[in-house]
Amino acid sequence: MTYRRVLPALAVLLFGAPATGQAGEPVAIVGATVFAGESMTRFEGATVVFQGGRIVAVGPGAALPRGARIVQAAGCWLTPGLMSSDTSLGLTDMAWVPPAADHTLDSGPFGPAFDIRYALNPDAVLLPQVRADGLTRAISSPGRSPLPPFAGLGAAIRLVPGADDLLDRPQVALFVRAGAAAAAEAGGTRAAPWLLLRAALDEARTVLAGRTPAGERRLSAADVEALRLVLERSVPLAIHASRAADIREALRLKDDYGLSVIVMGGEEAWRVASRLAAEDVPVVLDPTSDALTSFDTLGARPDNAALLQRAGVRIAFAAYVGFRGDFDGGVALREASGYAVAAGLPWDEALRAITISPAQIWGLDGHYGAIRVGADADLVVWSGDPFEVTTEALAVFVRGVRVPRVTRQSLLRDRYLPGAATRGVDPADGDALGMLCTARPGPPD
Amino acid sequence: MRAWLEAGLSGDRGPNPGSAARRAPILIALLALLCSAFSLQGCAAPSAARPAPHGEAPRADATSRGAPWLAGERSRYRPPSAEDVLFINATLLDGAGGRMDKGRLLLRGGVIVALGTELAVPPGVQVVDAAGRWITPGIVDAHSHAGVIAAPFDIEQPNDVNESTDINTAHVWAEHSFQAQDPSFGRLLAAGVTSLQVLPGSSNLFGGRSVVVRNIPGRTVYEMMIPGAPQGLKMACGSNPKGHYGAKGSFPASRMGVVAGQREAWLRAQQYHDDWQAWLAGERGRPARGNAAQPPARDLRLDTLAGVLAGDITVHAHCYRADDMAHMIEMAREFGFRIAAFHHAVEAYKIAGLLVNAGICAAVWSDWSMFKAEAVDGLRENAAILDHAGACVMLHSDVRGVGVRMNIEAAKAMTYGRRAGLDISEEHAIRWITSEPAKLLGIGDRIGTLAPGMEADLVVWSGHPFSVYSRPERVYVHGALLYQHDAPGGARAADFELGQPAREPVP
Repeated sequence: MTYRRVLPALAVLLFGAPATGQAGEPVAIVGATVFAGESMTRFEGATVVFQGGRIVAVGPGAALPRGARIVQAAGCWLTPGLMSSDTSLGLTDMAWVPPAADHTLDSGPFGPAFDIRYALNPDAVLLPQVRADGLTRAISSPGRSPLPPFAGLGAAIRLVPGADDLLDRPQVALFVRAGAAAAAEAGGTRAAPWLLLRAALDEARTVLAGRTPAGERRLSAADVEALRLVLERSVPLAIHASRAADIREALRLKDDYGLSVIVMGGEEAWRVASRLAAEDVPVVLDPTSDALTSFDTLGARPDNAALLQRAGVRIAFAAYVGFRGDFDGGVALREASGYAVAAGLPWDEALRAITISPAQIWGLDGHYGAIRVGADADLVVWSGDPFEVTTEALAVFVRGVRVPRVTRQSLLRDRYLPGAATRGVDPADGDALGMLCTARPGPPD
Repeated sequence: MRAWLEAGLSGDRGPNPGSAARRAPILIALLALLCSAFSLQGCAAPSAARPAPHGEAPRADATSRGAPWLAGERSRYRPPSAEDVLFINATLLDGAGGRMDKGRLLLRGGVIVALGTELAVPPGVQVVDAAGRWITPGIVDAHSHAGVIAAPFDIEQPNDVNESTDINTAHVWAEHSFQAQDPSFGRLLAAGVTSLQVLPGSSNLFGGRSVVVRNIPGRTVYEMMIPGAPQGLKMACGSNPKGHYGAKGSFPASRMGVVAGQREAWLRAQQYHDDWQAWLAGERGRPARGNAAQPPARDLRLDTLAGVLAGDITVHAHCYRADDMAHMIEMAREFGFRIAAFHHAVEAYKIAGLLVNAGICAAVWSDWSMFKAEAVDGLRENAAILDHAGACVMLHSDVRGVGVRMNIEAAKAMTYGRRAGLDISEEHAIRWITSEPAKLLGIGDRIGTLAPGMEADLVVWSGHPFSVYSRPERVYVHGALLYQHDAPGGARAADFELGQPAREPVP
């Protein structure tokens, strides 16, 4: 680890202040192994240039614009910024501490109309850490509403440092919950969430048709409006369902009401893979949720992701098993992707499941998800294979803005680690990143 | 906190259901965390002073002979049938800080006989070419709830990890909640975990006694118990106990209440311990102190605490905050016991010197923080900073999802330390999941390192054990091949798993 002591001075000497990518000045990341395009095609020693927040050139022979700031990344790996498809980022700093958590609605008139966008906090202290770990986009989803099985409307967020707004795309889906947890809230049987969901959709349809529903009305006008978006397929229904029987029920609901559906969790989705593929229903899963832990996951397997991909199902990853979701969202997502690969998923498909696939599933692929000209410059320079936990995100850009490596965590560490004050600036603050990639042992063999 | 966890599990609305409440795996993890055992380590009282060496569990000696707190040997452990094997061409991480390339390792009769680069092939020994493979000791987890929260975790409510009906349940033993056929044991074995300390939960001040088991198939806990491993006492600091009882309007509702409740119990235990020691001394023909004509009346709670004061039961304390740990250390000084380890210990890095001086280990996660108030200052560099300061440190699981990835826990803790400029080798970091926990559990002379004479618990990894792509290809326990990744028919199913959908053919 001697580089820590020699490199900082060297980096500043050679390159001056590190590339920020902030203003209009072009930045060129040169020499890296680049995973480009929607197919994540690997190019050795390639160059990626961005300016004004957008990628302007990609390829082994990309020309360097005049005045471009150069980030030397030979030997490093360059991927799109990563996306986690189910988080509470921007909504919680500490999930168990009510004043620091805004992802659930416990009372009031709203069910499906509960929209988390109004609670998004760009100053949430967890964000700098997950950003420094390579996460640049996320789905921020509601926990629950007072009207089960509805949780509420989730949003796609972009983690641009210093920005005063996190919102990338609001109302990406209406989240609902099936399975044991929802059943317990809704009356004690797994049938209850489906009955309540169908009743709500029926009520919304009746109101939207200008008729008066028979019996007690359960939906507010705002709830009916939220369900209108779902019935018109402009907002998909993201259904938390683990058991194969509940996933099949989600498909029945989709057919009966003509909805667009995304399966969340999906531990037993491998058993329904051919139908999910045929009906183009994507699955968001955590590859580490791979074992019999509850009566919803008796059929969980480590190769769920691999089996789904092989069957032609679109998959995206989240890392929400245990406490891994938010405070360590970046590392946990990379690690989970690696487990999927170890269980048989092709490496490039795992990278797609945390970049372009979620971009397509959640409707961001017009501007995010792949390294291509015109896309937002969400880029991560890695010291090696991003799925290895021994790999470090050396430089992260979100819409072209360089992510500071100083976080509350790093400040706390430096206060308590003896000698930290004399260890010097972080070498990865400079632009000579390639030296870090070649100097390191790299991912284990 | 625990209250809302339970509420979440039962489907009632807790104060902050959060994202956790919507997903079973999260709930399960939360539950386990709440339940997690933190044991305080008891140490020798001045009267029975036998300070245990740094990081090692005390052993019963003659001064406790006949004492009521001694559990006696209950183990029915029989070593499984061992193979005689010579591995060649392996990269060995020995768990004691050593590394050997192109290494050879000889197992015979369940024991490691030799390791080196030049070993001859003895007759009658199976030779396994482990080129490209890495061999480490079997993983030891000092903090597990496998067996006491059996999978599927929602099968019984409440589960068997917390006897939370009283603030002091020092008289309960985790082995009496233990389900030997918990399907988690098979997954843990496939992940390389060969020994575990199973602890009661953290919802009360004194959670009960732990049990140390070998991960072999057993019909009962007694078949898995490691003979001679001392029992631990689980204690808990901070928000779990105060939240559990405070939410019900009962004592304790604050941190100071937690400490007061513990001190009251130790005060009674001191008297009980002294009365028993006096009576035992009389039995042995030594002059008895006080009224020692009759044996004191038995009290099962006080038995456990007196066993700690006598140094026969180790203390494992669930504590997060630096000041919680410091209070525990003061309490140990006041009443004359020793703490073996703080578990979770997310702020241990703030008091590394205090832990070094007190000879107390920290059993920690690689990177958990910010999920509750007392975890707000969790640092990924916790283990590395403690290690750098010379403290005894190890990684632990508490929840299944971590327990099946202990090698990656060590990899992360090492990586975060390196990133902070600390020089930590892989052969050093592997100790955090092998020899260090083995020493803490009092079995470090038999388990946890690859050395001649040690019982042969080892993992043959498909590649570097710190790679996310590596998997155990073979796991040996006491010299027996109990897991093989390509075994016909797959890994051994637990009774519960038979006929379940996970094992049906892929469509």
